Amino acid sequence: MNEYRWDDLSVGLKHSFDATFTSEMVADFARLSGDINPLHVDADYAVAAGFPSPVIFGMMSSSLYSQLVGVYIPGKYALLQGMDINFHHPTFVGDTLTCTGEIIFMGGALRQMEIKASIRNQHGKLISKALIRAGMHD
Amino acid sequence: MDNLLAELQEIFRDIFDDDSLVLTRESSAATIDDWDSLTHTNLVTAIEKRYKVRFALGELQELKNVGDMIDLIQKKLAAK
Repeated sequence: MNEYRWDDLSVGLKHSFDATFTSEMVADFARLSGDINPLHVDADYAVAAGFPSPVIFGMMSSSLYSQLVGVYIPGKYALLQGMDINFHHPTFVGDTLTCTGEIIFMGGALRQMEIKASIRNQHGKLISKALIRAGMHD
Repeated sequence: MDNLLAELQEIFRDIFDDDSLVLTRESSAATIDDWDSLTHTNLVTAIEKRYKVRFALGELQELKNVGDMIDLIQKKLAAK
């Protein structure tokens, strides 16, 4: 886990990491979120809807943005303050997802940074992108 | 409405997610619902980004309303 302090950070600082979701994780997310939509949990339904397998929840793949902020930029001292997310392509169990984030703005007075982030699959397809606002605690 | 007030109104409407919000120089946390510490932080960051200015914490603590903020932005822009 990174332990950046505010003065260690600068515009352009970038981190990325890979992640893969399993079908057990998808079932766990359905339980914890209460979202039991069949597109995410019923293989037959997903195939009939035109997908190769159940679609991973958008909010589940976007949980990688939480990891990005809480573990990488800025890491230990992070306070996640807001996020705007757009979804571009579906993702599936077994995909290798690469989450990347870069600081694009640092507001000096109240110590809030903006992080431009994205998630791509192993084929380079854009899964989602996000503009994240984060602060830091002492 | 002067330009700066009109531009700030757009920033406020975006952050408060309220297209009907009408900003005046007298607007403040006391007159705008949902103006809490996080929206305040979001506002200050958006203004710093929009005008490429940096505020000191002490400068922000002296602000009583939007009019004071406009005066501070104008002072910062004039000093650039």
